[in-house]
Amino acid sequence: MNGAELVLKVLQQQGVNTIFGYPGGAIMPIYDAIYHSTVKHYLCRHEQGGAFSAIGYARASGKVGVCLATSGPGATNLITSLADALLDSVPLVAITGQVSQAVMGSDAFQEVDVLGLSLSVTKHSFMVRNVKDLAATLQEAFRLAQSGRPGPVLVDIPKDIQLAPAVEPEWPEYPAPRIATSLANAAKARELIANAKKPIAYIGGGVQMADALAQLQTFLAESVMPSVTTLKGMGSVARANPHYLGMLGMHGTQAANLAVQQCDLLICLGARFDDRVTGNLAKFAPGAKVIHVDIDPAEINKVRFADCAFIGDMKQILPAISATTQCEAWLAHCQQLKQQYGWRYDHPGERIFAPLMLKQLSDRMPDNSVVCCDVGQHQMWVAQHMRFNSPRNHLSSGGLGTMGFGLPAAIGAKLARPQDTVIAVSGDGSFMMNVQELGTIKRFRLPVKIVIVDNQRLGMVKQWQQLFFNERYSETDLSDNPDFVALAAAFAIPGHTITRKDEVESALDAMFTWPGPYLLHVRIDEKDNVWPLVPPGAANEDMLTETN
Amino acid sequence: MQHTLTITTSNEASVVERLLQVTRYRGYQLAGLELTPLTDRAGMQITLKVQSDKPITLLTNQLAKLYDVQHLVLASADVAVLRA
Ligand SMILES: Cc1ncc(C[n+]2csc(CCOP(=O)(O)OP(=O)(O)O)c2C)c(N)n1
Repeated sequence: MNGAELVLKVLQQQGVNTIFGYPGGAIMPIYDAIYHSTVKHYLCRHEQGGAFSAIGYARASGKVGVCLATSGPGATNLITSLADALLDSVPLVAITGQVSQAVMGSDAFQEVDVLGLSLSVTKHSFMVRNVKDLAATLQEAFRLAQSGRPGPVLVDIPKDIQLAPAVEPEWPEYPAPRIATSLANAAKARELIANAKKPIAYIGGGVQMADALAQLQTFLAESVMPSVTTLKGMGSVARANPHYLGMLGMHGTQAANLAVQQCDLLICLGARFDDRVTGNLAKFAPGAKVIHVDIDPAEINKVRFADCAFIGDMKQILPAISATTQCEAWLAHCQQLKQQYGWRYDHPGERIFAPLMLKQLSDRMPDNSVVCCDVGQHQMWVAQHMRFNSPRNHLSSGGLGTMGFGLPAAIGAKLARPQDTVIAVSGDGSFMMNVQELGTIKRFRLPVKIVIVDNQRLGMVKQWQQLFFNERYSETDLSDNPDFVALAAAFAIPGHTITRKDEVESALDAMFTWPGPYLLHVRIDEKDNVWPLVPPGAANEDMLTETN
Repeated sequence: MQHTLTITTSNEASVVERLLQVTRYRGYQLAGLELTPLTDRAGMQITLKVQSDKPITLLTNQLAKLYDVQHLVLASADVAVLRA
């Protein structure tokens, strides 16, 4: 056995059966080992796509995503995806081939200092210098990627290590990690909750990542209060909960933003006061005391001071801070906000109104479908107008906001959950950023449904130009888009274009009925914008709406 | 304000880069750096001096969670100031 074969052994031992990657010189020994391995490798068409597929796989399944790339250009192509995984706390192990140690540091062919390059976009990066350390380093990478706050870990393996003779190590039994959790502040938190007149729960992606969705529903049933979620937290609150107000932040619902601005107690669960959430920080929830629960100590007091903080396991903390609330008037007030500012889907004219189309998509998609988004207006419309019953079913690039995420993430999600319907909702700009992954869909005949919301613009940028740059539409016109249906056809993927409202329902039905991959090209009016919107620098109560 | 951190790290080649990268990215200015390898290549003892108006805990929290950082203490003078 050589080092490369040992890499595959470790993957198997970690329970990995699906990996994504692209071969090249410095990683050829590992690809040679893949040739004989039972671990299934999915050839992507660009390393960024492969890593996004690994991220989609991880986010849809809760397992670690694994991607491979060769040295130099292969590894540099991973960087965007590593950053995406870091900012969205996705457990990812990236394995890169490196030139042999004998030539390392000599500007050898396809040599790049990947370790140095990756430092600021990974949780940790390893370089293996001795084949004796190979198995333990990889195991440590898997442990680290999942432990505490999950994140991407890179392992750079020089080619000589891959080729060196290796022996199968004893596989140590790792005890399940124990998360240090202090409940010392529990009584204080319960008191804050019991005495609050206007409490609200602000829920991020961390609750689901802590596997604490059940504890969250119990908490919200015992400590009855309104709740809002971040982009990554969407789907955390059970649909039946009447006090859920939707997403907060820049494109959040008016009810969610107004309620958070007015609350006197903000219970932040697995979220991090991102600037897209808070708007003008100094004016964010100005009258609120804060209870902050997170697994990462560095998030506490980073952006907003916490009056009461908990670091550790959400599953243990939520039951410990539950207290009966007395806030009938507040609940009624929030209910009224929700009614007053409900979405409206009446829209003049024959053209397709994306919010309505996405609501129709949401109503029609099978239970437990996974929706993977790209970035822009369509992403915000998905968050606003589609409903999810778990954050695992809504994969959106939140922290990094990476165009090109949707299509490859959908590939990963489909491989993680072959029984569930997977839909990629993309914009005409974003779709072109990883369009080469249609080749991956073709090769593996993956029945992914693709919906392109085509406004022939870089819509979100165009909206800002319209609102904040005096309608100077610099470089946001895409009216020379390719024929998307013909493009799909080149990859043996059938498709259809619709332009009118009355075509939507039958087109969605046709897409879902078709057994294989399918591309639905939806032409919309380029003038449609995302509302409401908190302008940069404004407080969250100062939302712009279509009419003002 | 200047702060002195005493950090024990593992012996990974990239550890100093990581510390400096986090220090720079989080907005703290480097005011001094001293490294002493521990015996038997067990790791390094690093004294890091930084300057910033931001609370030092924002940096120490980020440094403390680095994989290579085994131990981190803030010089007692700083802790006294923090408590004041
Ligand atoms: C890789 C990358 N480059 C640039 C941006 C900046 N950006 C954010 S939204 C957007 C426009 C997206 O256009 P499209 O995919 O057509 O979606 P739309 O907003 O029109 O729905 C751009 C360019 C980004 N988020 N990611």
